[in-house]
Amino acid sequence: MTHHGHQHVHGSMHDDAHAGDHGHDVGISKYIYVFLALCVLTGASFFTYSSLWPFHSQPAIGWTFMMAVSCTKAMLVILFFMHVKYEANWKYVLTIPAAFMSLFLLLALVPDIGMRSRWTAEERQQFMAEPRDAGHGEEHPEEHAEPAAH
Amino acid sequence: MATAHATAHDDHAHGHVGLEYHPGLPISNGKLIVWLFLSTEIMFFAGLIGTYIVLRFGAPTWPLPHEVHLSEPIGAFNTFVLICSSVSVVLCMESAKKNNTSAAKGWLLTTFVLGCVFLGVKMYEYNAKFSHGIYPALPHSRIYEKANLNYASAVRLRLEALRSGLDAESAAIKERYAEDPAGLEQNADLAEINERLALVSKLTADAQAVETTAATANNIIASRAALNGLANKIMPLGHHPGDESGDAHHGLNDEHPWLKLPIVIPGGNMWASTYFLLTGFHAIHVIVGLIVFAMMIPMTLGVMATGFIENIGLYWHFVDLVWIFLFPLLYLF
Repeated sequence: MTHHGHQHVHGSMHDDAHAGDHGHDVGISKYIYVFLALCVLTGASFFTYSSLWPFHSQPAIGWTFMMAVSCTKAMLVILFFMHVKYEANWKYVLTIPAAFMSLFLLLALVPDIGMRSRWTAEERQQFMAEPRDAGHGEEHPEEHAEPAAH
Repeated sequence: MATAHATAHDDHAHGHVGLEYHPGLPISNGKLIVWLFLSTEIMFFAGLIGTYIVLRFGAPTWPLPHEVHLSEPIGAFNTFVLICSSVSVVLCMESAKKNNTSAAKGWLLTTFVLGCVFLGVKMYEYNAKFSHGIYPALPHSRIYEKANLNYASAVRLRLEALRSGLDAESAAIKERYAEDPAGLEQNADLAEINERLALVSKLTADAQAVETTAATANNIIASRAALNGLANKIMPLGHHPGDESGDAHHGLNDEHPWLKLPIVIPGGNMWASTYFLLTGFHAIHVIVGLIVFAMMIPMTLGVMATGFIENIGLYWHFVDLVWIFLFPLLYLF
């Protein structure tokens, strides 16, 4: 029992000293690698803006690529900088429901907000922006007559 | 006794104390609270970012970055600044763990400075929008969605307001020099006012002609061509993403910034609302973080402060995380 008592005291001191990461010594070199990875990934998403990016005509490819890059960066920050990799299972209780709530919120917005320009009053269309291909150009002004329903 | 033995054995195996010695979670109360707060923050920013995505992809059109004076390189620079500040917070905590208080203080100051740099760049960016009449709402916003008659009359009204203002200024100067005609002749202000008045008169005539054409033209093509011509002269819209020289800088509003004429940016109002809301809430989070960092500067950042540094670090990484998503969504999409 004395052995236990000793462990308890030692344990709490240990916890205070290394608040939270439970004795796993995350080396500084690991942070540097994560930092370099984050810089490279930022460069990667910035690359979609440069003229060397081959898919300017298909923006969906760039969007998917950038979101994949952002999610990777987010995972790196969460796992290493926020030490979530080394936390106990409580991390799932806090993060997964929050993530699901966020997803549901997003989906709930789609019918009313995302699809709002499919059903617009004519009065509103007079002042609304038009899709770019139909809009500005003097090239296709006759398309003005069509409702903006894309 | 057998249970106690097994537990002790377990402790050795995992290298830390078994859960039954801790009531509740194996983390400090402070850290638990920060994580609870962060999970509400996840939902808060997911709500904002989600709404932005849904609004943006449901919109009939969206402005190109250079039409709303967004600079991708500046955005990328700010991303880099925040990533650096995240690293410096972690290094601050590592130094504190080793009880290296001066190194910890150095990293804390680095983080603080990087946060300030981020905010400074953000202010510069906001200013670029404000100076071009891009605000989220009236009365400052000069954004029109479409070059229509409503827009043309807004241009004319602005020109009329300019003219009456200039007339008043000119009258005031003339009154001041009532007994000094020679001085009046050499007055540089008056010469400039006269120059401006001449330009305003010419533009008013143009705008009126456009309005007349648009209102009376028999076919919609002529009417729209006239209105688009007016909008293009004030602020031309570019068509090429990635073309940095963009035409957006050769309009009347850029040649004569004092004109402050209404501009046509299709989708610009929704863009401004979402951009300022998202970046504004993010900037508020950065400011809160900076206030805490400023409060920590006089503290001794040794082993005892590790828990506190970790907690503020978690918050700061979260702020970085939000920007990681905001940068591509706002600047590159």
